[in-house]
Amino acid sequence: MSSAALTHDSHDHPSAPPAVAKFGMIMFLISEGMLFAGLLGGYFVLRWAEVGFPWQAGHAWPRGEGVPLLPVFLTSINTVFLLASSFTFHFAEVAVAKRKSGLTWLFVTILLGSLFVGIQCYEWWHLHHEGLWFNTGGVYGSSFFLITGFHGLHVAIGVLLILWCFLRQLFTKCFTPEHHPALANVALYWHFVDVVWLFVLTLLYYV
Amino acid sequence: MPEPRRFVYNLVDLLTNNSTMSAITAEAPAETSHQHHDDHQEVGFVKKYLWTYDHKMIALQYLWTALAFLFIGGALAMGVRWQLGFPGVPIPFIGNLLPSTVAVDGSIIPGGYNMLVTMHATVMVFFVVMPLLIGTFGNYLIPLQIGAGDMAFPLLNEVSYWLYVLSGFILLAAFFVPGGAPGTGWTGYAPLSSVAAYNGTPIGQSLWGVALFVNGLSSIAGATNYITTVVNMRAPGMSMFRMPLPVWSLFITAILLLTAVPVLSAAAAMLFADLNFGTSFFSPAGGGQPLLWQHLFWFFGHPEVYIMILPAMGLTSEILATFSRKPIFGYKAMVYAMIAIGFLGYIVWGHHMFVSGMNLTLSAAFSVSTMIIAVPSAIKTFNWMGTVWRGSIEFTTPMCFALAFVSMFVIGGLSGIFMASTPVDLFVHHTYFIVAHFHYVLFGGSIFSIYGAIYFWFPKMFGKMLNETLGKVHFFATLIFFNLTFFPMHNLGLGGMMRRIADPTVYDHLRQLQPLNVLCTIGAIGLGFSTFLFIWNVVISLRNGKKAPENPWLSNTLEWTIPSPPGHGNFPKTPTVYHGPYEYSVPGIEKDYLPQNEPAPDSARLESH
Repeated sequence: MSSAALTHDSHDHPSAPPAVAKFGMIMFLISEGMLFAGLLGGYFVLRWAEVGFPWQAGHAWPRGEGVPLLPVFLTSINTVFLLASSFTFHFAEVAVAKRKSGLTWLFVTILLGSLFVGIQCYEWWHLHHEGLWFNTGGVYGSSFFLITGFHGLHVAIGVLLILWCFLRQLFTKCFTPEHHPALANVALYWHFVDVVWLFVLTLLYYV
Repeated sequence: MPEPRRFVYNLVDLLTNNSTMSAITAEAPAETSHQHHDDHQEVGFVKKYLWTYDHKMIALQYLWTALAFLFIGGALAMGVRWQLGFPGVPIPFIGNLLPSTVAVDGSIIPGGYNMLVTMHATVMVFFVVMPLLIGTFGNYLIPLQIGAGDMAFPLLNEVSYWLYVLSGFILLAAFFVPGGAPGTGWTGYAPLSSVAAYNGTPIGQSLWGVALFVNGLSSIAGATNYITTVVNMRAPGMSMFRMPLPVWSLFITAILLLTAVPVLSAAAAMLFADLNFGTSFFSPAGGGQPLLWQHLFWFFGHPEVYIMILPAMGLTSEILATFSRKPIFGYKAMVYAMIAIGFLGYIVWGHHMFVSGMNLTLSAAFSVSTMIIAVPSAIKTFNWMGTVWRGSIEFTTPMCFALAFVSMFVIGGLSGIFMASTPVDLFVHHTYFIVAHFHYVLFGGSIFSIYGAIYFWFPKMFGKMLNETLGKVHFFATLIFFNLTFFPMHNLGLGGMMRRIADPTVYDHLRQLQPLNVLCTIGAIGLGFSTFLFIWNVVISLRNGKKAPENPWLSNTLEWTIPSPPGHGNFPKTPTVYHGPYEYSVPGIEKDYLPQNEPAPDSARLESH
């Protein structure tokens, strides 16, 4: 066990050993998972109570005439960008492990992440233009904007974190094959946000 | 004695480089590095008291802030009791100072009464009991009792404290916004809370939601820290089943926090959106359901009940064993009981909703799962009694509070069984019987254990002993006035007095019960004043108290092996743990206690391994 962690002077060494930091990140992500479980669970229950399951007769979602439909095709493309960004981030980590800078892959990840957020913003603007907003379309609109809002915020924070990693690596070259806890933890967060998106996509867009 | 190897240790060994490995075997470098710490202790006021990374100072930040909130929450309760005891009578002295949303001409108005009740409960749950049990004792005891130098993430720890302060300001700001503070109860049931036209306090209610969200971030940050610290930073030899029970209880509590609090955050976000963005999560007009709020709230709310009692159980166990000079009776059973309570806490939330019109089959299931919790709770209670039984009991102030905790918790637990049974609950749910029940658990349980724990660990925290005589006076005043305040509420409830009514005297069937209400109010005023005895004790003991030795109670856990208060970095060198924490009166050893870092002689017959 690392006894540097046991007796360390926190003013001099405010960071935990990498494995401990990773453990903490996983704990935090479990908590984040419960946040999205609460949001998606609430949506699931409300929708189920209103229109039943998709395989039941008479199921229609959204209910009612003239409610704008979500741009499923565009979002599917967007999903490819987000999934790809998880791979590019992984390539950045692999590059760092091979004693390279990994800057190119990080840059591509930032681009893909920003693209995802940008397209989501366009989608919000587009739906707002069509007449769907927080306060229209009942549970349909409420859930869509609150849940994609929370998720989009997480992606945006993720992009900022990757940008932070990128700038640190660019100016200080601080990530070494043996020691890159910040990069590893941001990667965990980024993959987590990606997985949550698959649930959001399935429940909000596809079914 | 074989040293149990744990997966996590191996993992950490594997993943950290050799320089940290060597520090564990070579103790000389660790000692020199401690000297180095002492040289650096001269830091400015801000770095020492306001923005510190030292878990002990963060614990004290939580302590003082939460005690300030205790007075705010207590003052709100005084307002509530004054109105119920003497409805419509102007509050003496301060009545005219209250905002016009609460009182007019010094008398509390019905809407203001609702605000007082709501804010009292919210403040007490989120800003007093949780920060005292988890913020204060979690931060103070976890690193010290497992032999660590600090928390795993000291910066996150401090951020967590300031988020708590921020959320407190946001909540209290609700009193000063147009419309005033929320008046929907701490449960904030929709649609009352989610429709501005119903509650009349949309801004206050929104601030309440934001405050709970920010407070939730603080809790999650703290819980992440606690779990990581307990799993990864235990001293050599400190296996999970050698951990003192306070650490076990806080560990399980942190797991509950980590998984329950975000669900409240989700619900608070939905509530905020309903109020401010016009969404319809809780509005039937848009396809939403008010009942969704109850499900989300109580999915958090019931684990929350155990979040507020498990650490109290852990702290009490430590005090009972120390002052009975006996090992905890059934240490492992205590741990398993807490794990069982934590798990069962997730599948009983429906028992708060029996009166919501839920499916009776479902409510029967919730009824059964709720009653099952009586089993681990009874295991704990009997084990406490088994611990005290035939011990050499020392009736110190912390011991008195710990014994009172067990007694009051049993009363609160027994009245809880009434509510677990659906047919009985339907009659008593909206009455003062429930108010009596949860105050016995929350005040008689949690707050009594907090007082006991403060008397017990104050010497370690501040290096001064609290005055024992004043402590006894404080204890008996608290015990007597507590029972005077809350016991008659059982009678009031069974007599039919509803919860959340501003003036009982307007109901014919309650007028005959009014003397009991007056009695409760007198008890509450006495309880309020008894708190000043405690503060007085703290103040004079800090100034002129007897100097505390390293180990004033002759206790076994690691924090008593270092100076009071411990220096920066806690342990001069990483301690090695040889046995469990409750080796009192061990046959074959001369003294009646055996600190965890002292190897036992071969002749000793230990309880633990």
